[in-house]
Amino acid sequence: MAERNKRNIEVPQGVDRLRVEDKKVVKGCEVQIQHWEKVKGDYEALEDQLKTLPDEVSYDIMVPFGPLAFMPGKLVHTNEFTVLLGDNWFAKCSAKQAQKLVEHRKKHVRSALDDLHKTRKNFEARVGFAEDLEKLSGAKGDYVDIREEVGSIEEFVSKGKQRVALNPHSKPKMEAIVKIEEEEGGGEGDGESRRGVPSEEELWARLDELEAQEELEEEHDRCFDSADTNGNDDTTSSSSEEEKDGDDGGHHRVNGHDERSEGRMSVPHNFGKVNGTTRDREEEDERAEEEGNCLPTIYFSHTVEPKKVRINTGKNTMLKFSELKEQKRQAKRKKKNGTSNGHSHHGLHNITTPTDIYRLFVDVKNGEPIPRKSILKSRSRENSGCSDTSESSAADFEERRTFGRTLSHDENMYSDTSDGITEEDSPTGNPLHPTRRFEAFSCTVVEKEPIPSSILHLTITPPALPTIPERKLEEVAPEAPREAPKRVSKFKAARLQQK
Amino acid sequence: MAEAIQKKLQSELEKYQQMQKDVSKSMSARQKLEAQVTENNIVKEELDLLDTQNTVYKLIGPVLVKQDLEEAKATVAKRLEYINGEIQRYETLLKDMEKKSDQHREVLSSLQQEYQRAQGLAVGKA
Repeated sequence: MAERNKRNIEVPQGVDRLRVEDKKVVKGCEVQIQHWEKVKGDYEALEDQLKTLPDEVSYDIMVPFGPLAFMPGKLVHTNEFTVLLGDNWFAKCSAKQAQKLVEHRKKHVRSALDDLHKTRKNFEARVGFAEDLEKLSGAKGDYVDIREEVGSIEEFVSKGKQRVALNPHSKPKMEAIVKIEEEEGGGEGDGESRRGVPSEEELWARLDELEAQEELEEEHDRCFDSADTNGNDDTTSSSSEEEKDGDDGGHHRVNGHDERSEGRMSVPHNFGKVNGTTRDREEEDERAEEEGNCLPTIYFSHTVEPKKVRINTGKNTMLKFSELKEQKRQAKRKKKNGTSNGHSHHGLHNITTPTDIYRLFVDVKNGEPIPRKSILKSRSRENSGCSDTSESSAADFEERRTFGRTLSHDENMYSDTSDGITEEDSPTGNPLHPTRRFEAFSCTVVEKEPIPSSILHLTITPPALPTIPERKLEEVAPEAPREAPKRVSKFKAARLQQK
Repeated sequence: MAEAIQKKLQSELEKYQQMQKDVSKSMSARQKLEAQVTENNIVKEELDLLDTQNTVYKLIGPVLVKQDLEEAKATVAKRLEYINGEIQRYETLLKDMEKKSDQHREVLSSLQQEYQRAQGLAVGKA
């Protein structure tokens, strides 16, 4: 405490001195600027003289005679000037030539003035910074210092393995799946019944805690530089984190070892991560201290995160599932009814991240939904779970498949998507709620439903491709009810063939 | 023991101060040279603006001596080269002096530490 105080006192002193020095430089610059401005004024007056003097052949003037007397006289040779070029060199010039020389000198003066102005601006900015810093350290402003005392790093090392690159040929862990099913079954059942019961605030508080934890873990794992070559999961996780800042880009390593009670995960940021975490930090372990020059500080520490499990999506990859993630997603969406099942079948209109798309495509084997590794494979879709529990009103299986493929298109190819949509039956507007701020997929999703062509909505409007809506309008109108497209996407063709 | 160190400290300090003065002298000389360089540059450019019609004079003492334009240009160019050479020389000189003064500073600091240690010992003994 004492050392912190001392540090805070020293900092303002240093900052003060910095500010004083910067101000001195600024003043010096200003003095120089004044000097050069005067020079410039002089040259301009000289130029005027040069212009007017040759007007007459000779002038009647009072000639200074010594320091105290004048004498009437004549000024002759009004076009001849002896110019000092500098360094004891002189040149005899006409008025026009002298004017050229004066212009040349004025150029120099102007450049010097520009430089001085720039330096002055720079130093003024520095003065501003120094003042801000002073405010910061002096707790005069609204700044709050947030600190976390970091314990020894050994405790992180001891818990669980470090991340290892996923060997694509290694067998995935099978035991994890069984655990999931149990947990899910239990969790889901309880979750549904209890959904209404826990108060919203508790839920929010819990969610914020967990968010903060994850952030801390991510920050910590930055230290550990093991590369995670988990391709599939990287795409899902990275795409769901578009809203993250650029410097977090390297931290999307998803790793869900069971043994580690603190793993890392990708956090879907549909809901204002920054606000959540700052709120959380203020709630958890908050101790605001004000001592003399100290800033009000908030101390926090992270808590243990519940376990995460892996879902076997196939031979090579695992989807990372975590109750935490699901809790958050569900609570934030405030779903009152329907499928609470973690990794499958949200309502079609609840898809906000590509991860949700993957969750839609699950194979039901032995009564258990297992997420599929790739949703682009044209396997038989009868087993696909996405048709069963979706909430779309039109329960047509075919439409479901189309929609599913439309979604997958959206994920990869924007332009193709628009083509695919125009080719098929008239798309209807079922726009997603556009108010969610942090989404990977910011456009609306089109659900295929049989509707007359008069009701046409431009539902998919990728912001980067403005020409596509026009194209869609052209193509949709003539082709509205027909099913005979000019161009068929290869997936659709495959599906048609398959049928 | 402590007094010996103290004396050494004093002498080193003086030497260091002398070095600093030399450094600052060289610095100011160099700045003058810089100013001359700029001036001569301007003269050169203005001479280029003129043509042979104009007469060029050089001020030697109280006398304006007529000069040829070409001659004048050549003279100014030569002077520029000379000044640049001087600047280079002063640069190397300054660098050397900086290095020496750094060494001196280190010696000074080590001496200071010794002195403090000796003082501490002396206080302990006394």
